[in-house]
Amino acid sequence: MARIHWRYGPPLTQPVIDIIKLFHQKSFSHGVIFELGLILSLAGSVVTLLFIPIGTICPLNVAGGLLVVLYLMLLAPIGIALSGGGGSNPNISIGISRKMLLALSYEVPFLLVVLTVMIHYKTISLVSLVELQRASGWGIISLPLTGIAYFLILPAMLGIRPFDMVEAPQEIASGLKVEYSGKFLVVYYIEHALRRFIVIALFVNLLLGGAGEPFTFLVKMLVVFVICVCINAVFPRFRMEQAIRFNWTWPTMLALAGLVIACIWGGYG
Amino acid sequence: MLTKWLKQPQKMGDKYSLWAIYFCTGCGIIEVPPVITSRWDAERFGVIPVATPRQANLFLITGYVSVKTLKAIIRTYEQMPEPKYTVGFGSCPINGGMYWDSYNTIKHLDKYIPIDGWIAGCMPRPEAIFIAVTHLWTLIDKGMATGYKRYREKYQYYRKNQEKVLGKLTWPPQFHTGNDDV
Repeated sequence: MARIHWRYGPPLTQPVIDIIKLFHQKSFSHGVIFELGLILSLAGSVVTLLFIPIGTICPLNVAGGLLVVLYLMLLAPIGIALSGGGGSNPNISIGISRKMLLALSYEVPFLLVVLTVMIHYKTISLVSLVELQRASGWGIISLPLTGIAYFLILPAMLGIRPFDMVEAPQEIASGLKVEYSGKFLVVYYIEHALRRFIVIALFVNLLLGGAGEPFTFLVKMLVVFVICVCINAVFPRFRMEQAIRFNWTWPTMLALAGLVIACIWGGYG
Repeated sequence: MLTKWLKQPQKMGDKYSLWAIYFCTGCGIIEVPPVITSRWDAERFGVIPVATPRQANLFLITGYVSVKTLKAIIRTYEQMPEPKYTVGFGSCPINGGMYWDSYNTIKHLDKYIPIDGWIAGCMPRPEAIFIAVTHLWTLIDKGMATGYKRYREKYQYYRKNQEKVLGKLTWPPQFHTGNDDV
């Protein structure tokens, strides 16, 4: 990202250094809900991760994996919102309302995308989804509109620019994380990183065909992530209503069109 | 280098990840945007600006301090998590600078909060911030940047000075002051 800005940037180990420092720092708590909410969100993300196949490794391989993931992904924002409510800072309430509105705006196309994939491959198990795609080619080739729709909402789901209004440091003083310090901030960061990992891993699994071994999978994820970082580096920030309008027009329309096409091809029309 | 990391990870973490909060008290803040953006790129040194004192451990006081802003500075300083380091930027926090005879300017900031380092000059160049950061690294390495410990030990002294200027303080003392009726 720094190279795009024409500067040197920090060393690659900077996040590790930050986390070591934050563990060492003294941290302030704002009550039980403040702590438990964070733990709930971290737990939600970790459990979601267990349901997602990384290559062929999938610790919790169940028949209805995709639906479980859809439900579990909601735990993390709720936990963060609870925890922020315990912090009782006006900036946090603005951050929470923005996060929830943003989630509302990207969940609609996201659910349509997932529904399309489920209808096209006639399965709700993530593992068999990956196997079907390895047999018949990538999902993004047979469902191009759906793939584009997911790619358009990817920045919003990752919380990067142009959709980083949840954590806008210049407007609302980092929004949600304004009261977190030390160890709480570490938990917040790890949860955030896990969430990014989950979203990109879902993209790779649903539409980029998954992978046979974990290494190929991680390479695919890295490619998607680098593209997202490039988007992050060159775009300014949307306003809230612009973001919702964007998410409810182009990605939703594309996803809906993809759903209709999938239904007709699948013989449900 | 690696042995240092294994021996004292917390110290090295403090060193290379100074998250700075800038206090825009005066003209000095004009030097900060070029420092943190791509021209001088402070992120190379691990210095990044944060928006809230809860996450910061480097406090840059840029420019002169009036009595009114002193209140905000003290409150910000007390909200920062330990270990925390303070750097006075420019000659005004050192001795008042060109406002040496002003009735409303704080002349010696280190009477009110502990300062770990000074950057002299009016105005200092952006490079001076990096020199200050590297000096701060040396100080942290030798265990000499102990402003936050001083604040805890001599809190009575600092609190007395603060009350002398600001009158009755509206917030409770952060540490035990010695006499129980305060």
